[in-house]
Amino acid sequence: MSVIKIADLTRDYGNGKGIFQISFRVEEGEIFGFLGPNGAGKTTTIRHLMGFLRPQSGKCRIAHLDCWKERDRIQEFLGYIPGEMNFFEDMTGWEFLNFCARYRGLREPSREKELMDRFEVDPRGKIRKMSKGMRQKLGIVTAFSHDPQVLILDEPTSGLDPLMQNRFVELLREEKQRGKTILLSSHMFEEVERTCDRVGIIREGRLATVDTIDTLRKRHMRTYTVTLDNPKLARAFARDFGGSASGNKARVTAKQSLESIFLHYYGGKRHD
Amino acid sequence: MINRVLYGYEMKNSGKLLLIIAAVLSLYVCVIVSMFDPELMTTLDSFVEVMPELMAAVGMRAGATTLLGFLISYLYGFLLLVFPMVYTILRSNALAAKYVDQGSMAVLLAAPVKRSTIAATQLWVLISGIAILLVYVTGLEILVSHLLFPGELDIPGLLNINAGLVCLHLFIGGVCFLFSCAFSETKYALAFGAGIPVVMFVLQMLANAGEKARALRYVTFFTLFQPDGILAGEAYAFAGAGVLLLVGIALYLAAIAIFCRKNLSL
Repeated sequence: MSVIKIADLTRDYGNGKGIFQISFRVEEGEIFGFLGPNGAGKTTTIRHLMGFLRPQSGKCRIAHLDCWKERDRIQEFLGYIPGEMNFFEDMTGWEFLNFCARYRGLREPSREKELMDRFEVDPRGKIRKMSKGMRQKLGIVTAFSHDPQVLILDEPTSGLDPLMQNRFVELLREEKQRGKTILLSSHMFEEVERTCDRVGIIREGRLATVDTIDTLRKRHMRTYTVTLDNPKLARAFARDFGGSASGNKARVTAKQSLESIFLHYYGGKRHD
Repeated sequence: MINRVLYGYEMKNSGKLLLIIAAVLSLYVCVIVSMFDPELMTTLDSFVEVMPELMAAVGMRAGATTLLGFLISYLYGFLLLVFPMVYTILRSNALAAKYVDQGSMAVLLAAPVKRSTIAATQLWVLISGIAILLVYVTGLEILVSHLLFPGELDIPGLLNINAGLVCLHLFIGGVCFLFSCAFSETKYALAFGAGIPVVMFVLQMLANAGEKARALRYVTFFTLFQPDGILAGEAYAFAGAGVLLLVGIALYLAAIAIFCRKNLSL
Protein backbone atom coordinates (compact mmCIF):
# COMPACT_ATOMS: atom_id res chain seq x y z
CA MET A 1 0.00 0.00 0.00
CA SER A 2 1.25 3.46 -0.87
CA VAL A 3 1.28 5.73 2.14
CA ILE A 4 2.57 8.86 0.40
CA LYS A 5 1.29 9.53 -3.09
CA ILE A 6 2.39 12.48 -5.17
CA ALA A 7 0.87 12.83 -8.63
CA ASP A 8 1.84 15.47 -11.20
CA LEU A 9 2.62 17.95 -8.48
CA THR A 10 3.53 21.31 -9.98
CA ARG A 11 4.37 24.69 -8.54
CA ASP A 12 5.86 27.12 -11.00
CA TYR A 13 7.69 30.05 -9.46
CA GLY A 14 8.65 31.40 -12.87
CA ASN A 15 12.14 31.63 -14.40
CA GLY A 16 12.28 27.85 -14.53
CA LYS A 17 12.16 27.67 -10.73
CA GLY A 18 9.72 25.45 -8.92
CA ILE A 19 8.72 21.83 -9.26
CA PHE A 20 7.16 20.31 -12.34
CA GLN A 21 5.01 17.18 -12.64
CA ILE A 22 6.59 15.43 -9.71
CA SER A 23 5.08 11.96 -9.25
CA PHE A 24 6.18 9.22 -6.92
CA ARG A 25 4.85 6.99 -4.19
CA VAL A 26 6.27 5.83 -0.92
CA GLU A 27 5.10 2.41 0.18
CA GLU A 28 4.21 1.42 3.69
CA GLY A 29 7.23 0.41 5.73
CA GLU A 30 9.67 1.81 3.24
CA ILE A 31 12.42 4.38 3.49
CA PHE A 32 12.35 6.51 0.40
CA GLY A 33 15.36 8.68 -0.33
CA PHE A 34 14.65 12.01 -1.96
CA LEU A 35 17.95 13.03 -3.39
CA GLY A 36 18.93 16.22 -5.10
CA PRO A 37 21.25 19.19 -4.89
CA ASN A 38 20.34 22.37 -3.05
CA GLY A 39 17.58 24.26 -4.79
CA ALA A 40 16.37 21.25 -6.80
CA GLY A 41 12.88 21.37 -5.26
CA LYS A 42 13.08 18.87 -2.38
CA THR A 43 11.86 21.29 0.25
CA THR A 44 9.16 22.71 -2.05
CA THR A 45 7.82 19.19 -2.54
CA ILE A 46 7.89 18.58 1.20
CA ARG A 47 6.06 21.85 1.87
CA HIS A 48 3.21 20.49 -0.20
CA LEU A 49 3.19 17.26 1.79
CA MET A 50 3.05 19.27 5.00
CA GLY A 51 0.11 21.35 3.74
CA PHE A 52 2.11 24.58 3.86
CA LEU A 53 1.67 25.10 0.13
CA ARG A 54 -1.36 24.41 -2.01
CA PRO A 55 -0.56 22.55 -5.25
CA GLN A 56 -0.97 24.69 -8.35
CA SER A 57 -1.82 21.47 -10.09
CA GLY A 58 -1.51 17.82 -9.26
CA LYS A 59 -2.21 16.09 -5.99
CA CYS A 60 -0.51 14.80 -2.93
CA ARG A 61 -1.95 12.49 -0.35
CA ILE A 62 -0.73 10.82 2.79
CA ALA A 63 -2.67 7.76 3.94
CA HIS A 64 -5.50 8.74 1.57
CA LEU A 65 -5.83 12.18 3.15
CA ASP A 66 -5.42 15.30 1.03
CA CYS A 67 -2.26 17.12 2.09
CA TRP A 68 -3.86 20.56 1.76
CA LYS A 69 -7.44 20.06 2.86
CA GLU A 70 -6.89 17.50 5.59
CA ARG A 71 -3.48 18.64 6.77
CA ASP A 72 -4.39 18.77 10.46
CA ARG A 73 -5.60 15.16 10.42
CA ILE A 74 -2.41 14.01 8.71
CA GLN A 75 -0.36 15.67 11.42
CA GLU A 76 -1.83 13.32 13.99
CA PHE A 77 0.40 10.51 12.76
CA LEU A 78 3.19 12.44 11.09
CA GLY A 79 6.62 13.43 12.34
CA TYR A 80 8.49 16.22 10.62
CA ILE A 81 12.04 17.49 10.71
CA PRO A 82 12.20 20.82 8.90
CA GLY A 83 15.10 21.74 6.65
CA GLU A 84 15.79 24.72 8.82
CA MET A 85 15.34 24.63 12.55
CA ASN A 86 13.42 27.72 13.56
CA PHE A 87 12.13 27.43 17.07
CA PHE A 88 10.90 29.86 19.65
CA GLU A 89 14.28 31.30 20.46
CA ASP A 90 13.43 32.60 23.90
CA MET A 91 12.43 29.17 25.19
CA THR A 92 14.85 26.81 26.88
CA GLY A 93 15.18 23.34 25.39
CA TRP A 94 13.03 21.94 28.18
CA GLU A 95 10.35 24.54 27.70
CA PHE A 96 10.32 23.83 23.99
CA LEU A 97 9.99 20.04 24.37
CA ASN A 98 7.30 20.56 26.95
CA PHE A 99 5.49 23.07 24.80
CA CYS A 100 5.54 20.83 21.74
CA ALA A 101 4.18 17.84 23.64
CA ARG A 102 1.39 19.77 25.34
CA TYR A 103 0.57 21.76 22.20
CA ARG A 104 0.06 18.46 20.39
CA GLY A 105 -2.16 17.31 23.22
CA LEU A 106 0.21 14.52 24.30
CA ARG A 107 -0.17 13.42 27.88
CA GLU A 108 3.12 11.66 27.83
CA PRO A 109 5.59 12.04 24.97
CA SER A 110 6.31 8.33 25.02
CA ARG A 111 9.77 8.31 23.48
CA GLU A 112 11.14 11.66 24.59
CA LYS A 113 13.44 10.40 27.32
CA GLU A 114 14.84 7.54 25.25
CA LEU A 115 15.53 9.83 22.30
CA MET A 116 17.18 12.45 24.45
CA ASP A 117 19.51 9.85 25.89
CA ARG A 118 20.25 8.41 22.49
CA PHE A 119 21.23 11.74 20.99
CA GLU A 120 22.75 13.16 24.16
CA VAL A 121 20.46 16.16 24.13
CA ASP A 122 21.13 18.77 26.75
CA PRO A 123 17.90 20.75 26.93
CA ARG A 124 19.07 23.23 29.52
CA GLY A 125 19.67 26.76 28.37
CA LYS A 126 17.96 28.99 25.84
CA ILE A 127 17.52 27.71 22.31
CA ARG A 128 18.98 30.99 21.05
CA LYS A 129 22.34 29.98 22.50
CA MET A 130 22.34 26.38 21.30
CA SER A 131 24.71 25.10 18.66
CA LYS A 132 23.39 24.05 15.28
CA GLY A 133 23.87 20.39 16.18
CA MET A 134 21.97 20.70 19.44
CA ARG A 135 19.07 22.45 17.69
CA GLN A 136 19.02 19.67 15.12
CA LYS A 137 18.89 17.05 17.87
CA LEU A 138 16.06 18.92 19.53
CA GLY A 139 14.23 18.84 16.20
CA ILE A 140 14.81 15.09 15.94
CA VAL A 141 13.43 14.50 19.42
CA THR A 142 10.27 16.51 18.73
CA ALA A 143 9.74 14.78 15.38
CA PHE A 144 9.93 11.26 16.86
CA SER A 145 8.64 11.70 20.39
CA HIS A 146 4.97 11.11 19.60
CA ASP A 147 5.96 7.89 17.82
CA PRO A 148 4.45 8.84 14.43
CA GLN A 149 3.63 6.31 11.74
CA VAL A 150 4.91 8.47 8.88
CA LEU A 151 8.08 10.54 8.94
CA ILE A 152 9.04 13.38 6.64
CA LEU A 153 12.64 14.31 7.20
CA ASP A 154 14.17 17.24 5.37
CA GLU A 155 17.95 16.90 5.51
CA PRO A 156 17.71 15.56 9.04
CA THR A 157 21.41 15.04 9.72
CA SER A 158 22.65 18.48 8.77
CA GLY A 159 24.75 19.83 11.59
CA LEU A 160 25.23 16.44 13.26
CA ASP A 161 28.68 15.01 13.83
CA PRO A 162 29.49 11.58 12.27
CA LEU A 163 28.79 9.74 15.53
CA MET A 164 25.34 11.27 15.80
CA GLN A 165 24.75 10.70 12.10
CA ASN A 166 25.40 7.01 12.72
CA ARG A 167 22.98 6.97 15.61
CA PHE A 168 20.42 8.62 13.41
CA VAL A 169 20.88 5.98 10.71
CA GLU A 170 20.40 3.30 13.40
CA LEU A 171 17.23 5.01 14.54
CA LEU A 172 15.88 5.06 10.98
CA ARG A 173 16.59 1.35 10.54
CA GLU A 174 14.80 0.56 13.78
CA GLU A 175 11.84 2.68 12.78
CA LYS A 176 11.67 0.85 9.46
CA GLN A 177 11.67 -2.45 11.38
CA ARG A 178 8.73 -1.12 13.33
CA GLY A 179 6.84 -0.55 10.07
CA LYS A 180 7.24 3.19 9.76
CA THR A 181 7.05 4.90 6.39
CA ILE A 182 9.84 7.40 5.91
CA LEU A 183 10.58 10.06 3.32
CA LEU A 184 14.16 11.19 3.72
CA SER A 185 15.39 14.15 1.74
CA SER A 186 19.11 14.55 1.43
CA HIS A 187 21.89 15.86 -0.70
CA MET A 188 24.27 13.33 0.79
CA PHE A 189 24.85 10.10 -1.03
CA GLU A 190 26.05 7.85 1.77
CA GLU A 191 23.15 8.74 4.01
CA VAL A 192 20.64 7.64 1.41
CA GLU A 193 22.68 4.63 0.36
CA ARG A 194 22.91 3.39 3.94
CA THR A 195 19.25 3.70 4.78
CA CYS A 196 16.92 3.82 1.82
CA ASP A 197 15.14 1.13 -0.16
CA ARG A 198 14.32 3.32 -3.09
CA VAL A 199 15.54 6.66 -4.29
CA GLY A 200 13.98 9.47 -6.28
CA ILE A 201 16.47 11.84 -7.79
CA ILE A 202 15.24 15.36 -8.39
CA ARG A 203 17.01 17.87 -10.52
CA GLU A 204 15.92 21.40 -11.41
CA GLY A 205 12.40 20.72 -10.22
CA ARG A 206 11.93 17.55 -12.23
CA LEU A 207 12.19 13.98 -11.10
CA ALA A 208 15.12 12.46 -12.98
CA THR A 209 14.59 8.88 -11.88
CA VAL A 210 12.94 6.70 -9.27
CA ASP A 211 14.49 3.34 -8.61
CA THR A 212 15.64 0.94 -5.97
CA ILE A 213 19.10 1.46 -4.64
CA ASP A 214 20.08 -1.99 -5.99
CA THR A 215 18.79 -1.29 -9.48
CA LEU A 216 20.56 2.01 -9.53
CA ARG A 217 23.74 0.27 -8.53
CA LYS A 218 23.29 -2.59 -10.99
CA ARG A 219 22.57 -0.26 -13.84
CA HIS A 220 25.86 1.36 -13.16
CA MET A 221 27.85 -1.78 -12.51
CA ARG A 222 30.62 -2.93 -14.84
CA THR A 223 31.91 -6.48 -15.09
CA TYR A 224 35.44 -7.24 -16.24
CA THR A 225 37.01 -10.52 -17.19
CA VAL A 226 40.71 -10.55 -16.57
CA THR A 227 43.08 -13.19 -17.90
CA LEU A 228 46.03 -13.92 -15.68
CA ASP A 229 49.15 -16.00 -16.07
CA ASN A 230 47.92 -19.02 -14.14
CA PRO A 231 44.85 -20.25 -12.17
CA LYS A 232 46.57 -19.59 -8.87
CA LEU A 233 47.00 -15.92 -9.67
CA ALA A 234 43.47 -15.79 -11.03
CA ARG A 235 42.09 -17.16 -7.74
CA ALA A 236 44.12 -14.66 -5.75
CA PHE A 237 42.93 -11.85 -7.95
CA ALA A 238 39.30 -12.94 -7.59
CA ARG A 239 39.71 -13.11 -3.82
CA ASP A 240 41.27 -9.65 -3.55
CA PHE A 241 38.69 -7.93 -5.71
CA GLY A 242 35.62 -9.90 -4.67
CA GLY A 243 35.08 -11.71 -7.99
CA SER A 244 35.04 -15.28 -9.17
CA ALA A 245 37.74 -17.32 -10.89
CA SER A 246 37.66 -20.10 -13.50
CA GLY A 247 40.89 -21.37 -14.96
CA ASN A 248 43.29 -18.53 -15.45
CA LYS A 249 40.41 -16.05 -15.87
CA ALA A 250 38.83 -13.93 -13.14
CA ARG A 251 35.57 -12.00 -13.29
CA VAL A 252 35.25 -8.93 -11.17
CA THR A 253 32.57 -6.28 -10.99
CA ALA A 254 33.02 -2.64 -10.10
CA LYS A 255 30.12 -0.92 -8.43
CA GLN A 256 29.93 2.76 -8.92
CA SER A 257 29.23 4.69 -5.80
CA LEU A 258 25.87 6.35 -5.57
CA GLU A 259 27.73 9.59 -5.90
CA SER A 260 28.87 8.87 -9.38
CA ILE A 261 25.39 7.62 -10.27
CA PHE A 262 24.09 10.84 -8.92
CA LEU A 263 26.52 12.82 -11.01
CA HIS A 264 25.46 10.79 -14.03
CA TYR A 265 21.91 12.07 -13.68
CA TYR A 266 23.17 15.58 -13.30
CA GLY A 267 24.98 15.53 -16.57
CA GLY A 268 28.35 15.20 -14.93
CA LYS A 269 28.06 18.57 -13.25
CA ARG A 270 28.18 18.80 -9.56
CA HIS A 271 25.76 21.33 -8.09
CA ASP A 272 26.61 21.77 -4.47
CA MET B 1 -11.67 26.85 19.09
CA ILE B 2 -8.42 27.92 20.60
CA ASN B 3 -5.35 26.00 21.73
CA ARG B 4 -4.88 26.56 25.45
CA VAL B 5 -1.20 25.72 25.48
CA LEU B 6 -0.43 28.25 22.77
CA TYR B 7 -2.71 30.79 24.45
CA GLY B 8 -0.83 30.42 27.73
CA TYR B 9 2.54 30.79 26.05
CA GLU B 10 1.49 33.89 24.13
CA MET B 11 -0.17 35.55 27.10
CA LYS B 12 3.11 35.15 28.94
CA ASN B 13 4.82 36.81 25.97
CA SER B 14 2.31 39.68 26.15
CA GLY B 15 2.98 40.14 29.84
CA LYS B 16 6.00 42.38 29.79
CA LEU B 17 4.61 44.77 27.19
CA LEU B 18 1.25 44.93 28.96
CA LEU B 19 3.02 45.70 32.21
CA ILE B 20 5.03 48.56 30.71
CA ILE B 21 2.02 50.10 29.01
CA ALA B 22 -0.16 49.68 32.08
CA ALA B 23 2.55 51.36 34.16
CA VAL B 24 2.79 54.34 31.81
CA LEU B 25 -0.99 54.69 31.66
CA SER B 26 -1.21 54.40 35.46
CA LEU B 27 1.15 57.32 35.79
CA TYR B 28 -0.88 59.47 33.40
CA VAL B 29 -4.26 58.49 34.84
CA CYS B 30 -3.11 59.33 38.36
CA VAL B 31 -1.50 62.60 37.36
CA ILE B 32 -4.40 63.75 35.21
CA VAL B 33 -7.12 62.82 37.70
CA SER B 34 -5.19 64.60 40.42
CA MET B 35 -4.92 67.66 38.19
CA PHE B 36 -8.69 68.05 38.26
CA ASP B 37 -8.75 71.10 40.42
CA PRO B 38 -10.61 74.28 39.54
CA GLU B 39 -7.47 76.34 40.15
CA LEU B 40 -5.13 74.15 38.12
CA MET B 41 -7.84 73.87 35.48
CA THR B 42 -7.35 77.54 34.83
CA THR B 43 -3.66 76.84 34.29
CA LEU B 44 -4.44 74.16 31.70
CA ASP B 45 -7.04 76.41 30.14
CA SER B 46 -4.41 79.10 29.90
CA PHE B 47 -2.19 76.63 28.00
CA VAL B 48 -5.09 76.16 25.66
CA GLU B 49 -5.35 79.91 25.25
CA VAL B 50 -1.66 80.32 24.54
CA MET B 51 -1.32 77.40 22.11
CA PRO B 52 -4.77 76.29 21.08
CA GLU B 53 -3.69 74.33 18.00
CA LEU B 54 -1.17 72.19 19.82
CA MET B 55 -3.53 71.42 22.68
CA ALA B 56 -6.39 70.70 20.30
CA ALA B 57 -4.21 68.41 18.24
CA VAL B 58 -3.86 66.09 21.22
CA GLY B 59 -7.58 66.41 21.91
CA MET B 60 -7.39 68.82 24.81
CA ARG B 61 -9.90 71.64 25.02
CA ALA B 62 -10.69 74.28 27.56
CA GLY B 63 -13.78 74.53 29.66
CA ALA B 64 -14.40 70.98 30.84
CA THR B 65 -16.39 71.45 33.98
CA THR B 66 -17.05 67.93 35.24
CA LEU B 67 -14.40 65.39 36.22
CA LEU B 68 -15.45 63.10 33.37
CA GLY B 69 -15.43 65.96 30.88
CA PHE B 70 -11.96 66.78 32.13
CA LEU B 71 -10.80 63.17 31.66
CA ILE B 72 -12.27 63.12 28.15
CA SER B 73 -10.29 66.20 27.25
CA TYR B 74 -6.99 65.11 28.64
CA LEU B 75 -6.97 61.30 28.41
CA TYR B 76 -9.22 60.26 25.53
CA GLY B 77 -7.75 62.42 22.80
CA PHE B 78 -4.22 61.07 22.93
CA LEU B 79 -2.99 58.91 25.78
CA LEU B 80 -5.70 56.27 25.78
CA LEU B 81 -5.59 56.12 22.02
CA VAL B 82 -1.84 55.90 21.51
CA PHE B 83 -0.62 53.58 24.25
CA PRO B 84 -3.04 50.70 23.70
CA MET B 85 -2.38 51.16 19.99
CA VAL B 86 1.34 50.59 20.59
CA TYR B 87 0.48 47.30 22.29
CA THR B 88 -1.81 46.29 19.45
CA ILE B 89 0.71 47.08 16.73
CA LEU B 90 3.62 45.29 18.39
CA ARG B 91 1.71 42.20 19.44
CA SER B 92 -0.25 41.82 16.19
CA ASN B 93 2.97 41.67 14.29
CA ALA B 94 4.59 39.25 16.73
CA LEU B 95 1.58 36.92 16.84
CA ALA B 96 1.49 35.97 13.17
CA ALA B 97 3.76 37.66 10.63
CA LYS B 98 6.89 37.33 12.74
CA TYR B 99 6.51 33.56 13.14
CA VAL B 100 5.98 33.15 9.43
CA ASP B 101 8.90 35.41 8.64
CA GLN B 102 11.24 33.60 11.03
CA GLY B 103 9.95 30.17 10.12
CA SER B 104 8.90 29.11 13.60
CA MET B 105 5.30 28.93 12.36
CA ALA B 106 6.37 25.50 11.05
CA VAL B 107 6.49 24.25 14.64
CA LEU B 108 2.88 25.29 15.17
CA LEU B 109 1.71 23.80 11.87
CA ALA B 110 3.54 20.48 12.31
CA ALA B 111 0.96 19.34 14.83
CA PRO B 112 -2.66 18.25 14.60
CA VAL B 113 -3.92 21.79 15.15
CA LYS B 114 -5.98 23.53 12.47
CA ARG B 115 -4.71 26.77 11.02
CA SER B 116 -8.00 28.38 12.00
CA THR B 117 -7.36 27.32 15.60
CA ILE B 118 -3.87 28.82 15.53
CA ALA B 119 -5.12 32.12 14.08
CA ALA B 120 -8.08 32.26 16.47
CA THR B 121 -5.78 31.60 19.43
CA GLN B 122 -3.40 34.38 18.42
CA LEU B 123 -6.33 36.71 17.87
CA TRP B 124 -7.74 35.84 21.25
CA VAL B 125 -4.38 36.69 22.81
CA LEU B 126 -4.46 40.10 21.11
CA ILE B 127 -8.02 40.81 22.23
CA SER B 128 -7.30 39.61 25.77
CA GLY B 129 -4.47 42.12 26.03
CA ILE B 130 -6.67 44.98 24.82
CA ALA B 131 -9.37 43.95 27.27
CA ILE B 132 -6.91 43.65 30.16
CA LEU B 133 -5.46 47.11 29.47
CA LEU B 134 -8.80 48.86 29.18
CA VAL B 135 -10.45 47.08 32.10
CA TYR B 136 -7.41 47.99 34.17
CA VAL B 137 -7.57 51.64 33.07
CA THR B 138 -11.29 51.80 33.82
CA GLY B 139 -10.76 50.38 37.29
CA LEU B 140 -7.89 52.75 37.93
CA GLU B 141 -9.88 55.78 36.75
CA ILE B 142 -12.72 54.88 39.08
CA LEU B 143 -10.40 54.13 41.99
CA VAL B 144 -8.24 57.24 41.71
CA SER B 145 -11.28 59.47 41.13
CA HIS B 146 -12.97 57.94 44.15
CA LEU B 147 -9.93 58.46 46.35
CA LEU B 148 -9.27 62.04 45.29
CA PHE B 149 -12.75 63.31 44.45
CA PRO B 150 -15.37 61.02 46.04
CA GLY B 151 -18.68 61.14 44.26
CA GLU B 152 -17.45 63.46 41.49
CA LEU B 153 -17.12 60.87 38.70
CA ASP B 154 -20.05 59.95 36.45
CA ILE B 155 -19.32 56.20 36.53
CA PRO B 156 -22.04 55.01 34.08
CA GLY B 157 -20.86 57.70 31.67
CA LEU B 158 -17.26 56.52 32.05
CA LEU B 159 -18.25 52.91 31.40
CA ASN B 160 -20.09 53.90 28.23
CA ILE B 161 -17.12 55.88 26.97
CA ASN B 162 -14.70 53.08 27.74
CA ALA B 163 -16.95 50.59 25.97
CA GLY B 164 -16.66 52.87 22.95
CA LEU B 165 -12.90 52.98 23.44
CA VAL B 166 -12.81 49.16 23.47
CA CYS B 167 -14.66 49.18 20.12
CA LEU B 168 -12.06 51.57 18.68
CA HIS B 169 -9.15 49.43 19.86
CA LEU B 170 -10.77 46.22 18.67
CA PHE B 171 -11.05 47.86 15.27
CA ILE B 172 -7.37 48.89 15.30
CA GLY B 173 -6.55 45.33 16.36
CA GLY B 174 -8.48 44.09 13.33
CA VAL B 175 -6.46 46.27 10.97
CA CYS B 176 -3.11 45.21 12.48
CA PHE B 177 -3.98 41.52 12.72
CA LEU B 178 -5.31 41.39 9.18
CA PHE B 179 -2.02 42.62 7.76
CA SER B 180 -0.06 40.40 10.11
CA CYS B 181 -1.91 37.37 8.72
CA ALA B 182 -1.85 38.56 5.12
CA PHE B 183 1.87 39.21 4.81
CA SER B 184 4.64 36.70 5.27
CA GLU B 185 7.28 39.31 6.01
CA THR B 186 7.22 41.51 9.06
CA LYS B 187 8.35 44.57 7.13
CA TYR B 188 5.18 44.58 5.05
CA ALA B 189 2.96 43.54 7.94
CA LEU B 190 4.33 46.48 9.94
CA ALA B 191 4.28 48.92 7.01
CA PHE B 192 0.53 48.42 6.64
CA GLY B 193 -0.51 47.20 10.08
CA ALA B 194 1.29 50.02 11.88
CA GLY B 195 1.40 52.51 9.03
CA ILE B 196 -2.34 52.82 8.51
CA PRO B 197 -3.32 53.44 12.16
CA VAL B 198 -0.41 55.83 12.71
CA VAL B 199 -1.12 57.85 9.55
CA MET B 200 -4.79 57.95 10.49
CA PHE B 201 -3.89 59.19 13.92
CA VAL B 202 -1.67 61.95 12.56
CA LEU B 203 -4.47 63.03 10.22
CA GLN B 204 -6.82 63.06 13.19
CA MET B 205 -4.43 65.34 15.08
CA LEU B 206 -4.21 67.67 12.06
CA ALA B 207 -7.99 67.67 11.74
CA ASN B 208 -8.34 68.60 15.41
CA ALA B 209 -5.75 71.31 15.20
CA GLY B 210 -6.83 73.56 12.39
CA GLU B 211 -10.00 74.72 10.73
CA LYS B 212 -8.42 74.24 7.31
CA ALA B 213 -7.65 70.57 7.93
CA ARG B 214 -11.07 69.98 9.43
CA ALA B 215 -12.21 67.97 6.41
CA LEU B 216 -9.54 65.37 7.22
CA ARG B 217 -11.71 64.12 10.06
CA TYR B 218 -13.87 62.40 7.47
CA VAL B 219 -10.85 60.38 6.34
CA THR B 220 -9.88 58.80 9.64
CA PHE B 221 -11.59 56.05 11.56
CA PHE B 222 -10.73 57.80 14.84
CA THR B 223 -13.62 60.16 14.08
CA LEU B 224 -15.97 57.25 14.71
CA PHE B 225 -15.01 57.35 18.38
CA GLN B 226 -16.73 60.40 19.92
CA PRO B 227 -16.48 60.34 23.71
CA ASP B 228 -18.35 63.64 24.07
CA GLY B 229 -21.13 62.32 21.87
CA ILE B 230 -21.33 59.06 23.86
CA LEU B 231 -21.50 61.04 27.09
CA ALA B 232 -24.28 63.22 25.68
CA GLY B 233 -26.15 60.07 24.58
CA GLU B 234 -26.00 61.05 20.91
CA ALA B 235 -27.16 58.31 18.55
CA TYR B 236 -24.40 59.03 16.00
CA ALA B 237 -21.72 58.41 18.62
CA PHE B 238 -23.14 55.00 19.53
CA ALA B 239 -23.54 54.20 15.85
CA GLY B 240 -19.87 55.12 15.31
CA ALA B 241 -18.75 52.73 18.05
CA GLY B 242 -21.03 50.05 16.62
CA VAL B 243 -19.50 50.47 13.18
CA LEU B 244 -16.00 50.17 14.65
CA LEU B 245 -16.94 46.97 16.45
CA LEU B 246 -18.66 45.36 13.47
CA VAL B 247 -15.95 46.24 10.98
CA GLY B 248 -13.40 45.08 13.53
CA ILE B 249 -15.07 41.68 13.77
CA ALA B 250 -15.25 41.47 9.98
CA LEU B 251 -11.51 42.18 9.80
CA TYR B 252 -10.84 39.40 12.32
CA LEU B 253 -12.83 36.90 10.31
CA ALA B 254 -11.08 38.00 7.13
CA ALA B 255 -7.68 37.65 8.82
CA ILE B 256 -8.41 34.08 9.93
CA ALA B 257 -9.77 33.16 6.49
CA ILE B 258 -6.67 34.57 4.77
CA PHE B 259 -4.34 32.74 7.14
CA CYS B 260 -6.13 29.43 6.46
CA ARG B 261 -5.80 29.82 2.70
CA LYS B 262 -2.37 31.31 2.27
CA ASN B 263 0.69 29.53 0.98
CA LEU B 264 3.44 29.41 3.55
CA SER B 265 7.04 28.89 2.51
CA LEU B 266 8.24 27.55 5.82
